[in-house]
Amino acid sequence: MARMKFYCDAERCIECNACVTACKNENEVPWGVNRRRVVTIKDGEPGERSLSVACMHCSDAPCIAVCPVDCIYDTIDGVVLHDKDICIGCGYCFYACPFGAPQFPQEGAFGSRGKMDKCTFCAGGPEEDHSVEERRKYGSNRLAEGKLPLCAEMCSTKALLAGDANVIADIYRERVINRGASVLNRGVSYQNAAFRASRGMEGKSSVKE
Amino acid sequence: MIGELIDGPLWYFSLVVFIVGVLLRLFSILRAGLKPDLSPARGGATAGALRNLISRSIPRRDVATRGRMVLVAGYLFHVGLFALLFFAQPHVDFYAERITGFGWPALPYWAFIVSAEIAFIGLLMLWLHRLLHPVTRLLSSVDDHVGTGLVFLVMLTGCLALAQSFEALRLLHLFLAELLLIYFPFSSLMHAFTFTFSRSYSGAVMGRKGVNA
Amino acid sequence: MRPLPGTSTGVPPFSLAGGMMLLLITLLVLVTMPQAMAQAETEQNGIQVPNPSAELWRSVRQREGALPGRTQVQGVDSAMLINPYGERWRNFRMKELIPYGGYALGGMLLLLLLFYLVRGKIRVNAGLGDRKLFRYTLYERTIHWFTACTFLFLALTGLILLFGRSLLLPWMGPELFSLLASASKEGHNLFGPLFGVALLLVFFRFVRRNIYQKGDLTWLLKGGGIIGKGHVPSHFFNMGEKSMFWILVLVGSVIVGSGLILVFPLFGQGRISMELAHVSHAVTTLLMIVVILGHIYIGSVGMEGALDGMTTGYCDLNWAREHHAEWAERCEADGDVLDADEVSQRRGETVSGAAVSTRESSA
Repeated sequence: MARMKFYCDAERCIECNACVTACKNENEVPWGVNRRRVVTIKDGEPGERSLSVACMHCSDAPCIAVCPVDCIYDTIDGVVLHDKDICIGCGYCFYACPFGAPQFPQEGAFGSRGKMDKCTFCAGGPEEDHSVEERRKYGSNRLAEGKLPLCAEMCSTKALLAGDANVIADIYRERVINRGASVLNRGVSYQNAAFRASRGMEGKSSVKE
Repeated sequence: MIGELIDGPLWYFSLVVFIVGVLLRLFSILRAGLKPDLSPARGGATAGALRNLISRSIPRRDVATRGRMVLVAGYLFHVGLFALLFFAQPHVDFYAERITGFGWPALPYWAFIVSAEIAFIGLLMLWLHRLLHPVTRLLSSVDDHVGTGLVFLVMLTGCLALAQSFEALRLLHLFLAELLLIYFPFSSLMHAFTFTFSRSYSGAVMGRKGVNA
Repeated sequence: MRPLPGTSTGVPPFSLAGGMMLLLITLLVLVTMPQAMAQAETEQNGIQVPNPSAELWRSVRQREGALPGRTQVQGVDSAMLINPYGERWRNFRMKELIPYGGYALGGMLLLLLLFYLVRGKIRVNAGLGDRKLFRYTLYERTIHWFTACTFLFLALTGLILLFGRSLLLPWMGPELFSLLASASKEGHNLFGPLFGVALLLVFFRFVRRNIYQKGDLTWLLKGGGIIGKGHVPSHFFNMGEKSMFWILVLVGSVIVGSGLILVFPLFGQGRISMELAHVSHAVTTLLMIVVILGHIYIGSVGMEGALDGMTTGYCDLNWAREHHAEWAERCEADGDVLDADEVSQRRGETVSGAAVSTRESSA
């Protein structure tokens, strides 16, 4: 079977937050829960890059390992899902997750967090596919309809890729090769290659060669 | 099956037992009344009753120093229990749904928990005092321990069900609360109502005699 | 798979001499090629191709210290892309804390059982007599048992959360165990602050008697009378009890402090501080449970006459002479020895003894 993966291409992400909005809308997550977020590194400095991050559906997921009630599991597609009927809201998955994917509806006194919520790769939960319960607890189940997660599907620059790990890897490898070729072709550094300087063009340019 | 029984019929049964039992006992106390006092009145009985009703909440100085722990623990327990019984959000919702039909402002979650903590400190201290003090140990009957134990268990299961996401835990809490309601009218837990009678009766007697007690 | 350039796999076998020649040439090429390539690079004054991704991922992985980015999503730590300590915490919890914690607890239980089998119940040599000494006031006994109640409840619920998945879940099933775990978690969170209160009460009540004194070192050197038959004289509390008190106070305050950090995730403490708090909470708690197991053992089945002081308030004079000789001597000198009748009268157990001693109730 396929192993489902997300990949965010930092050279393409334009921090439009459409993936965040799409996720919120598609899964109807409560306020305060952000299954996906876009983080910008070096905001406003040279080398600024943005990455969209959610649950990365790890192969050896730390959250699965540390959960004291064993409510998190991975499916045959490599999607990490959890059972909200079993979850006790202890927050251990949040401590263990490198990506900060597990979210809790409350951050109250005396450890009242509510049930954990996280990206399901638009694959619902342990309930029956497309049931009302599944919709209420986990949001949409696009995978069962043969569709990929909405965040990746509507990414305008195709920075966020979702799907079979092999396919994603092939697409990304092709992009890297093309970028490398453009660097060699135009004789600029990789850093500048992304910005498309007005090389060899007449007229006004804000970029001094 | 058992859940439906606890949530439905048993709840109404326990509520009826509680209300009828409490009313019967209060009625019997009222009917017994006071012995006729033929001596000329030296003061107002009503004023004495009202004064006593309030003044007995403030401990006498010697009691306040000798039994300080019981005093502090007693206040902690009763204030905490009152707050969490009537002003915790889940309880307010429960009353509004099952009994009154209307709700009232509830405490925020943290204040609810703080009142529960206070009540637990008080109850544990009082129960341990009851067990450890030689005199209260001898004075305590089975009824006292059952009453204290039931209240403690209701509070404990309530605390265990705080996540409000496991039906079984809620039902356990409700079941013990129902047992408590059924047990209530026949036990010394009745002091929650009868304290007004004992205080005002003795206040009235003393007030009529013109004694400030 | 493509063959790597420069390897001899593609050499046709013309003759031995020709083959040798070719081999030599290939070897020469192999040796000189990197040099030639390096030369070509410098000559071209080449395009530097630093992969920007390398730099990006370096800062994402927080290799050079925490450098959070920016995000539109509000929340604690939401601007941190990768928390490198998560994996370390996971490994600590799963590979160290759970197994070694289990060994420590099991080992302590085994040790106590072994000690009981070897040493047996420590008897009062002179036998339990009629004469008693007043040891703990009502208030002291109440706060002791209050602490004990909260501690045992917290230990039980905490152990369920720590070991439940490996010990209870397999035979309880996920639904039932989840119920138990949720109850344990909520109970643990609510009773935690009560232990803090209990700790404060115990500290202020007992601290004066627990300051180390002159005779304590000899008690330690003689092993507290555990080895051999002779008892070592000590004051109201012996060296072991004092150490137990200080462990309770110091380790206990770490437990309470870290527990409060964990139970109030309101003050913007991020994942890293939560992980640290969890680690210190778990380690200190396991240490505390091990110590308390010993305390419970010696106070109940381990020693004759040790429990009386904490239940009735009065201890046996012979017991006190053997275990707290200096305290017993002082009490005897002060004339504080009571006979059994007096004690039962004070405790209101006799019919005539209606009067309750002022000392008993003044607590």
